[in-house]
Amino acid sequence: MTHVVTDACIRCKYMDCVEACPADCFYEGENMLVINASECIDCSICIPECPADAILPDIDKDAARWVELNATYAALWPNIARRKDAPADADAHRGEADKFDKYFSAKPAAAS
Amino acid sequence: MASLRTERILSVNHWSDRLFSFKTTRDPSFRFESGHFVMLGIDLGGKPLLRAFSIASPNHSEELEFLSIKVPDGPLTSRLQHIAPGQDLFVSNKPVGTLVVRDLRPGRNLYLLATGTGLAPFMSIIQDPETYEKFERVVLVHGVRTCQELAYADFITNELPQNPWLGEDVRQKLLYYPTVTREPFRNTGRITQALDTGKLTETLGLPVLDPALDRAMICGSNAMLNDLSALLDARGFAISPGVGEPGDYVIERAFVER
Repeated sequence: MTHVVTDACIRCKYMDCVEACPADCFYEGENMLVINASECIDCSICIPECPADAILPDIDKDAARWVELNATYAALWPNIARRKDAPADADAHRGEADKFDKYFSAKPAAAS
Repeated sequence: MASLRTERILSVNHWSDRLFSFKTTRDPSFRFESGHFVMLGIDLGGKPLLRAFSIASPNHSEELEFLSIKVPDGPLTSRLQHIAPGQDLFVSNKPVGTLVVRDLRPGRNLYLLATGTGLAPFMSIIQDPETYEKFERVVLVHGVRTCQELAYADFITNELPQNPWLGEDVRQKLLYYPTVTREPFRNTGRITQALDTGKLTETLGLPVLDPALDRAMICGSNAMLNDLSALLDARGFAISPGVGEPGDYVIERAFVER
């Protein structure tokens, strides 16, 4: 078992999970994060940390859709080990429906 | 990928054919809270092989100590059990975890409930003076299969009460309740039974569990966490919702089973 980030992260990207993760297994895209399944140690400490409830165990029925997305982009995007500031309009997108179709970006995070 | 430091093994202690502990050097800049865990591992053909381990040593110690089981086909522990003083070990530099006293609401009695290697974080917590500042009683409960697996029993019973710095607090406040499931011992049976029947509190001369006064920290297998969480929930205890959010109890898995 591992964990996945869902589309609830898109344009919220609060990054509390990044600070909590002992394995530094988060990877950063332009507007969301993903988890590298081979690095996640399944400690689940990130789940309650996420204000957007965007992290699920991969056995959750709602996780299936995001497993491949996490695997794909964990290999393409840069690792993030310390949190940055969330987007200014993060709260406005919290809980919004269909964020993947509306906003998903395959671009990696801008270099910082 | 976790960023790693290299520490050196200082000593290894084999408690049984299933259980061992080891001490390593500690980088002076490495900081952690009592109860935290960290990633630990070895170099496997140029690639680090890492697992999560709770830190068993107190945060004021110059060394780090870890407690591990030996999983016969476990990728890391099957190798780690053969480690010897002088060898190197990776330790990640981001300790984290939910078993921290600051995530408990103020209370009178602190119950530390562990099975197997779940004892490790509590070894750190019972050697932290802050624990004794916050609670009138600290009750360490350790459930194991065999007497041999009661790691640190002699240290807890005989050495810690004589510690020049902590001894007084330990003598006045620390209660130790080891219990064994597969051999005769003065306490036998599972922790859930001992709590459910009231045997534990009765033996220690404590009042029955009360969510207004008692706090708990739990570390063990998933099954043990589920059982004890259900038991506490049924008695009106509320779990801490996450790091930094206080509750009546906190839980962590004993990771090294995998």
